[in-house]
Amino acid sequence: MHRILLTALTHGTSRARFAVGMGAAVLLAIVAGASARPDDDAAPSSRRHWAFVRPSRLTPPDVRDREWTRNAIDAFILARLERERVAPSPEADRATLIRRLSLDLLGLPPTVDEVDKFVADARPDAYERLVDRLLDSPHYGERWGRHWLDAARYADSNGYTIDGARSIWKYRDWVIQALNADLPFDQFTIWQMAGDMLPGATVDQIIATGFHRNTLRNEEGGTDQEQFRVEAVADRINTTGSVFLGLTIGCARCHDHKYDPVSQREYYQLFALLNNADEPSLPVPTTQQSKEEPALLAEIAEAEKRLKMVDDNLGTRQSDWEKMFDGRLGVDWTVLDPIEVRSAAGATMTKLDDKSVLVGGSTPARDTYTVVVDVPAELAKPGVTAIRLEALTHDSLPQRGPGRAGNGNFVLNEFVVTEQSAVAGRQPAEPSAVSGQQSAETFSSAIADHSQDKFPVAAAVDGKLDTGWAINTGGGKPMNVDRTAVFVLKAPITAAPVAQTSDDPPGNVRLAFALRHEHTGAGYLIGRFRLAVTTALGDAVVLPESVRAALTVAPAERSDEQKKLLAAEFRKVDKERIPIAGRVDELKETHKQLKAAITTSLVMSERKQPRETYVHFRGDFLRPGDRVDGGVPAVFPPIVARGERPDRLDLARWLVDPANPLTARVTVNRAWQQFFGAGLVATENDFGTQGTPPTHPELLDWLATELVERDWSLKSLHRLIVSSATYRQSSRVRQDLTTSDPNNKLLARQVRLRLEAETIRDVALAASDLLSRELGGPGIYPPQPEEVYRFTQVKKFWKESQGDERFRRGLYTYFWRSSPHPFLTTFDVPDMTVACTRRVRSNTPLQALTLANDRAFFEITQALAARMLAEPTASDKDRLRAAFQMCLAREPNEREAIGLAAYLDTQRAHFSQAAADAALVAPKGHPTANAAETAAWVAVARVLINLDEFITRE
Amino acid sequence: MPQNHSKPIDRADELRHITRRHFFSDCRIGVGSLALASMLADSQPTHAEATTSNPLASRPTHFAAKAKHVIFLFMAGGPSQLELFDYKPKLQELNGQVVPSSYVKNKRFAFIKQDAKLLGTRRKFARHGQSGAEISECLPNLASIADDVAIVRSVATDVFNHGPAKLFVNTGSSRFGLPSMGSWVTYGIGSESRDLPGFVVLQSGPRGPRGGSPLWGSGFLPTTYQGVPFLSGPEPILNLSSPPGFDHGGQGDFVQAVAALNRARLDAVGDPEIATRIAAYEMAYRMQSSTPELMDIGGESKETLAAYGAEPGKVSFANNCLLARRLVERGVRFVQLYHTDWDHHGNNDTHLGEPLDGRCKEVDGPAAMLVRDLKQRGLLDQTIVVWGGEFGRTPMGEPRDQIGRDHHVDGYTMWLAGGGIKPGQTIGATDELGFYAVEDRVHVHDLQATILHLLGLDHTRLTYRFQGRDFRLTDVAGQVVDRLLA
Repeated sequence: MHRILLTALTHGTSRARFAVGMGAAVLLAIVAGASARPDDDAAPSSRRHWAFVRPSRLTPPDVRDREWTRNAIDAFILARLERERVAPSPEADRATLIRRLSLDLLGLPPTVDEVDKFVADARPDAYERLVDRLLDSPHYGERWGRHWLDAARYADSNGYTIDGARSIWKYRDWVIQALNADLPFDQFTIWQMAGDMLPGATVDQIIATGFHRNTLRNEEGGTDQEQFRVEAVADRINTTGSVFLGLTIGCARCHDHKYDPVSQREYYQLFALLNNADEPSLPVPTTQQSKEEPALLAEIAEAEKRLKMVDDNLGTRQSDWEKMFDGRLGVDWTVLDPIEVRSAAGATMTKLDDKSVLVGGSTPARDTYTVVVDVPAELAKPGVTAIRLEALTHDSLPQRGPGRAGNGNFVLNEFVVTEQSAVAGRQPAEPSAVSGQQSAETFSSAIADHSQDKFPVAAAVDGKLDTGWAINTGGGKPMNVDRTAVFVLKAPITAAPVAQTSDDPPGNVRLAFALRHEHTGAGYLIGRFRLAVTTALGDAVVLPESVRAALTVAPAERSDEQKKLLAAEFRKVDKERIPIAGRVDELKETHKQLKAAITTSLVMSERKQPRETYVHFRGDFLRPGDRVDGGVPAVFPPIVARGERPDRLDLARWLVDPANPLTARVTVNRAWQQFFGAGLVATENDFGTQGTPPTHPELLDWLATELVERDWSLKSLHRLIVSSATYRQSSRVRQDLTTSDPNNKLLARQVRLRLEAETIRDVALAASDLLSRELGGPGIYPPQPEEVYRFTQVKKFWKESQGDERFRRGLYTYFWRSSPHPFLTTFDVPDMTVACTRRVRSNTPLQALTLANDRAFFEITQALAARMLAEPTASDKDRLRAAFQMCLAREPNEREAIGLAAYLDTQRAHFSQAAADAALVAPKGHPTANAAETAAWVAVARVLINLDEFITRE
Repeated sequence: MPQNHSKPIDRADELRHITRRHFFSDCRIGVGSLALASMLADSQPTHAEATTSNPLASRPTHFAAKAKHVIFLFMAGGPSQLELFDYKPKLQELNGQVVPSSYVKNKRFAFIKQDAKLLGTRRKFARHGQSGAEISECLPNLASIADDVAIVRSVATDVFNHGPAKLFVNTGSSRFGLPSMGSWVTYGIGSESRDLPGFVVLQSGPRGPRGGSPLWGSGFLPTTYQGVPFLSGPEPILNLSSPPGFDHGGQGDFVQAVAALNRARLDAVGDPEIATRIAAYEMAYRMQSSTPELMDIGGESKETLAAYGAEPGKVSFANNCLLARRLVERGVRFVQLYHTDWDHHGNNDTHLGEPLDGRCKEVDGPAAMLVRDLKQRGLLDQTIVVWGGEFGRTPMGEPRDQIGRDHHVDGYTMWLAGGGIKPGQTIGATDELGFYAVEDRVHVHDLQATILHLLGLDHTRLTYRFQGRDFRLTDVAGQVVDRLLA
């Protein structure tokens, strides 16, 4: 960093550098102006930098033209202008003023009616009334909330590469509400920095701490979590620095700040104050949800009580069950010898000596194995009660199997068995054609010696093809071993009457099995398997070995563990218990869903035991140096600790202590920037020695003290600024000043500002009367081109909003950090990875393409045309005038009216010749007889929406 | 256009927010007022207006440039230099042994641990070309142009997770919010194309590169300079085609009508921003025809298509290489191609066997053909081609389902060709295990400094003041790699 700054400084002192790019006259003017500062001196280095000195309360200067001034702001501005012998610009006309005010305070244009009324309002305080009305509008909080959300780097996702979704929109709602309620800025700050630490903190105060939860989170595999936690704390310091203090504190992370009095040690003292938070999610239930939960919990308690009663009054139920197994515990399996084995996808099926089947050849993505067997009469007679499927390893399989996937796994989606008529020479029915549903009807239960998490064996007989049994293991346990599944039949398969003509031995039963693998991942197929059947008691078949063993022990000799085991096993089959247990499960599931439905918001929570903080050598958290306690840089007034050591809440209060020289200045400067395009300090996030000095230092200080004086009321500050004559000036560029003050530092005029992305959308929606004015709530998904996701790692959720949702204000657009809505990025919305205290305003061909061609914007254009056509007039001239008013809140001048009318005529002529085009351009649902006329007006609406003035605050 | 750019890059900070205005300030003597006068006269745009209204207009360099364009072939995921470029007999010998602790003391890796075992390569290496460049069997086409490229076997970077590492190579920092190289370059010297964006991003492979838009973002620079991702399909730029029902002529009428009303407003309020808006609409209109023309590779000869392996209508690295040449032909300054899925950790679909073969097959032929094609057309002299990823891979194996390698930052390989690069040489070396770059180490910042140098830019002077600091692509480091220069 040293080297670069040296190059930058070859231009001399910072003051001289400030003058680069300005005419010589202005350079002289500014040096002269600055010299007039009371605290100025010839050698700045010998004094403290102006921004580190508490602002003093100054009396507004005297001016010659007192008529012009409306409040103290104007005195400061005009005094300077008079010194430079520059006259201020005249006041803008009323139509311009109401559009300017509406856009600045609400981010919405005035309605035609509002413009008419204001223009006609002859009362002397018409302007002030308008200002009051706008400040009272709930849309004020949306407009100014959006500015604040930039500083808070608000987004709805975690950032970095995975960029998962997060829930923190309650914080956005809180910002909007707090600004509407004019929560004093000092409180606004304290809540956000440390609301969780306030005594008896309210839900709102805790939600406010979401401010510093807008940091990124890296979910990529193989990351060091501590590294990214430290990164988040560093971001909180940077953000606090630039948003409240207007300082580049982050520069001191690796070494002492080169230019401002912040040492590396002091940086880590600030770090220590922000280093002790945990980062939980706060559930924020609705009133309804808050009511539902206690009722549900009571119901669960009641059901559990009944369950306990059933368990406590067993009677003879368990002993009856135990007795059922007397002498019938044994389970003998008879391995079946396949008569025929087929693979639907053409794999090779080889029968091995042990009657197992080995699958080889190509590895298709999906496959169904069909196996035909004969069950001998001696088994069929008592009836087959269960079927065993063994998945076996083999050297020819990947990782020895038992599956054919690269790691030896498989997913068996459905296991189906059908009884065949054993007629010789006749193909058995294709079991895979049998609906999966059948297996759910065939089997009563299934067990396996191992099932993979989320792939239980029961899923192989649930009648669904998108679930299945798999065998991967966790925790380093081996996966590539033999596995066994047992499926118990609902009704035993018994010998059916066989046709007399059959050559088959009487009493045999022919069965066809289907092993269906429909997993979407490639090649998750069983590699080797064997089938067997049993005639044992079905209830006994599914008993785990340990239970079986316990049952063979006489009741009196069973160990405690065995008794517990049997009791637990019985509970699974106890008919009295099952319905009540089912009810408990159901209620608990409902409760889980209720919990899941409750919105959460990311918040801070201070740890009881603070983390220790060390200086990080060269900013590397792996190289800790000296241990440091919390504190603030020595150049500032000291921090006052409530307890033994200062903490985050103390820091929050210190930020807004009137003795703090920066917070109020930085705050008024940022407000000024919104109203005039640039702050009095142009480097709004750097008030340090490398920032640009204020153009009007006295005014900056006066406003800063005035803000504190007005109890930190932002609405009051905004009222003050917009009421000034300075603000009300025309924004017409002054040819007399283009060389002497090209950047309008003297404020001899207002300035034209291109609207922000969200506002452009809102203005278009308002002009076309589509805008939904609903306040707050979770993010919305306005239409965006499908191609957006070609460039992200993971396709993001984007279910296009319908109805009113589609037409809500732009600030509610769901913000994925890795792929923001393209409209937003095209119009300079920051990427929300770091605090943005000022948006860039670019002017690019991509913006032109978007406004001209975007389908969503065209939809709005069509609605605008429909609104124009609904005007009760027959004259083009009147309709064009109305259209102009809808879009620009003013009447066209003659040149504009003629130009637009000429365009209308050419379009009318064109579309009446091109019916197909007209049908495409006219909005859907419009009577086709008028298509050409409608299309011509859509074309006109499109021109208006694309005008520079449409997206500019004049 | 007379320009007075004693310090073309170091723009005064108070101008930094308003893309347009600094042109009038920079050029305030003469051209600015001339252009303004012509606009106020309600005339058709003069050449001066069109030029001064275009923030992407070509601008003078710090010193004479060797190259005018960059094509950066970004191999996302981190290709294994040990399978492709950096043959280490010692590593073969110690295959299967635990890595000596002296190498990995205090080192962190994304997935493997300090007791990981060394892994020799199964790939065959041979020397190629007059220069005898060592290249493995995986890249036969690169081997065939060995004398046209400079291989750097000693690249080093700072961070070992994909997202931060990709940011690092692109922006010189692993943190968010800084401009990418393409943005710095177009900010510094504009572009030579009037009909296409100055910085274009193309992508192929199974998914987008991890990290997304910040990789080609403009950070604190005006968005004018951010990379424009070209998508597959007939509409490579979002909103390129006119709404249904407006044909080319209809769109022309529309642009004219908008311009006429905007000029009326310009006359009334005198804001030069309106002139820029008029120019932006005109350029947008030109892009509507120039971009589909660019994307239509059907007009290329059969031989050319075959040589690249390009097929009209397909999304592939081959198509993108051909498009890169077409973009450079049309004056676009900076073209970046991302090809994903080089992250060969050792899962079933990401190991050093078939998956690596697959990537090499997709990339090797087209990349070599691109260099050859540029050369044939006389464009290679003015175009820098860079091939490489965000990091390389460890000499230690990473056993998963199969075998792979973990992320490695201390020594890996890239190659460069064209504009001002001395061809036919291999620079730098890693130690005997291929772990650390020990000879002619080229840090990512050095590479960035070198690319800027070739474009005629001094990386220490291409700065932008933000939050009280003069930022630059190379942070506080970076040395031009003299050995790379022709």
